[in-house]
Amino acid sequence: MAASPEIYFEHAPWGRPIVASVVLHAGLAGVLVVYALFFQGARGPMWGTGGGGDAMSATLVSSLPLPSVETQSQSVLVTESKGLTQSQPVAQTQEPDAIPIPDRNIKKKVIKSVNSTVKPREPEPQPSNQVPFGEGGPAATFSASGGQGAMSFSGGSGDFGSRFGYYVRVVQQKVSENWLKYEVDPKVSEGRRVYVSFDISRGGDPSNIQVEQSSGVPSLDISAVRALKRIDTFGPLPADYAGNKVSVEFYFDWKK
Amino acid sequence: MKNFSKSALAVMTAILLLNSASPAQTDWIRTGTGLGVEKVRLAAANFKSSTADPRNAALLTSFNDTLETDLENAGIFDMVSKSFHPTSIPASPPEVKFLEWSGPPPNASMLAFGTLGVTAETMTVQGWLDDVKNPLSAQVLAKQYQDKATTDAARMTAHKFADEIIFRLGGGIPGIAETQIVFISSRSGHKEVWMMDYDGANQRQISKMGSISLSPRISPDNSRIAFTSVTAAGGWQLQMFSLELARTVSFPRFGGTNVSPSWSPDGSRIAFSSSQSGDPEIYVADNGGRSSKRVTTSPGPDVSPSWNPKTGSQIAFVSGRSGLPQVFTMEADGTNPQRMTDQGYAVSPAWSPNGQFLVFSWMRKYGPGAPGAQDLYIMDIVSKQWVQLTHDGGRNDFPAWSPDGRHIVFQSTRSGAEQLWTMLADGSNARQLTTSGRNTQPNWSWK
Repeated sequence: MAASPEIYFEHAPWGRPIVASVVLHAGLAGVLVVYALFFQGARGPMWGTGGGGDAMSATLVSSLPLPSVETQSQSVLVTESKGLTQSQPVAQTQEPDAIPIPDRNIKKKVIKSVNSTVKPREPEPQPSNQVPFGEGGPAATFSASGGQGAMSFSGGSGDFGSRFGYYVRVVQQKVSENWLKYEVDPKVSEGRRVYVSFDISRGGDPSNIQVEQSSGVPSLDISAVRALKRIDTFGPLPADYAGNKVSVEFYFDWKK
Repeated sequence: MKNFSKSALAVMTAILLLNSASPAQTDWIRTGTGLGVEKVRLAAANFKSSTADPRNAALLTSFNDTLETDLENAGIFDMVSKSFHPTSIPASPPEVKFLEWSGPPPNASMLAFGTLGVTAETMTVQGWLDDVKNPLSAQVLAKQYQDKATTDAARMTAHKFADEIIFRLGGGIPGIAETQIVFISSRSGHKEVWMMDYDGANQRQISKMGSISLSPRISPDNSRIAFTSVTAAGGWQLQMFSLELARTVSFPRFGGTNVSPSWSPDGSRIAFSSSQSGDPEIYVADNGGRSSKRVTTSPGPDVSPSWNPKTGSQIAFVSGRSGLPQVFTMEADGTNPQRMTDQGYAVSPAWSPNGQFLVFSWMRKYGPGAPGAQDLYIMDIVSKQWVQLTHDGGRNDFPAWSPDGRHIVFQSTRSGAEQLWTMLADGSNARQLTTSGRNTQPNWSWK
């Protein structure tokens, strides 16, 4: 039996439901947009932020030959003062351990003065180009004297750090990059410090690497010496510098 | 007191003069770790025109852009945005106003500036680098270059000046702005060897084998490229392309499949993988392909050798002797094999220029149900500690080191098809180098 042709002429009342449907969907879309705009921030941290899992090893990254980002600062780089400044921090005249002592035995004396209760050492007259501690040239603290551990200024002028601050910074950066902290026994407590001295030749090669003052922790001492032995060159000394070599005393502070 | 400081000043001046005349005295630097080592903040001022030639403008644009990009790419500087630069740009050292550059907003430590000018057909560039925080002894570098007055020459001069700055401020490690990258590209219809500048500029086809070429390796003296390609006879054979003659030169054929050549750092030997005796094994031959000697003997395939560029006496390679491919190291004569990776699927090792690290591609979890992400990892050879460099970015493979050891070039599918990318060796600062066709298997020139 054939369908009645009448059905082709019947029209369901679609008009109102369609309008209602359009309004409903438009409303839903609007709600989504508003939600996305105003509640985005309430979902917590984005993916990819925050610390990683145990797959990352921070020590290794900092040992790559790239500048490591260290937040530790002894206010050397945050000060705006130029090298050769004569300004002195107020605290310098108050605290005996803040006096710059142009002496290679600085660490021993500092320790003594801290431990004893004798009256503070009188501030020594500053030479006009002496850079006060923490107020140094653009890169690093620096004090200089001619010869080994001389207090007087009869030898070298001690202007390397102020004239070639950028080079001091290069040394600092390069040694820090090559110090692999995982070589240090992790059981060692923080606060240990080892002093290592070495020479930099005209061509930039380090030599005469030796531990000046041990930290008392063999693995820390060895890691410091190894850091320097990994370095082939610091780059040639500045062309304007007249000397044949520069001696460096570098300390390694053990912080986890 | 006043008299005292005056006399102290006089004494110090005398000492200064005395010292400059007696270089035998030793200066001391006292410094240490934990002093806030941050990237050097460097401003690269736009170079100025030193002549009235109309060609200056185009050359200056090319020069300034290239210099800025090179210094940015170096990875050791915190570049001062040009919008922070003062309005008065110096053209010579007396014109530098130190406070304007060293104070906010630029807060620069170092300032690169200079001039470029064309006279007749010659371009002359004068460049300086000043330590603006140290006005009393500001000049770190002064250089003059002369070349033809072309855009390419301007780019090359900018590369040279950038490398000079990086050398001075980066601890004596030469910059990479003049280095090249070889790679395989399919954009000509066949997989051929291509070459480009380190920043992706100047891409050009090298080989025209008309078949499939793979694993190009440039020689340490930049004169030849060893690669492997399918020959008319159907087998994979090593090929040698001379960049000086601009054609392939003869190289011995071996039986079986011969792939993945690797140069020893002195350029005298080549390690490669050959299946002439059945299993793919590592062979070492001289750079002419003569007196080849098998150095691995274990059952299972041994492929992808990579020499230790520092010592020239060790080789890292991939071995299937323990099942899935793993990274191994051994002495160059095959003794003392050491397994470096402990699990998953590890391929494509490349030894860092300082001999300290391996970078390789690793699927740490491999097998049914594993996520199967292929990422790049860097491993300290001695301690076997590793760090993941790439994350969630497609398949990453074929890493290669830049000669300064600060950058890695690799192929990645993170943007779709395989393309070449560079990043700093800590995984940051990824940059895409190629966009056309499929580009794979990069290798960085040695200098």
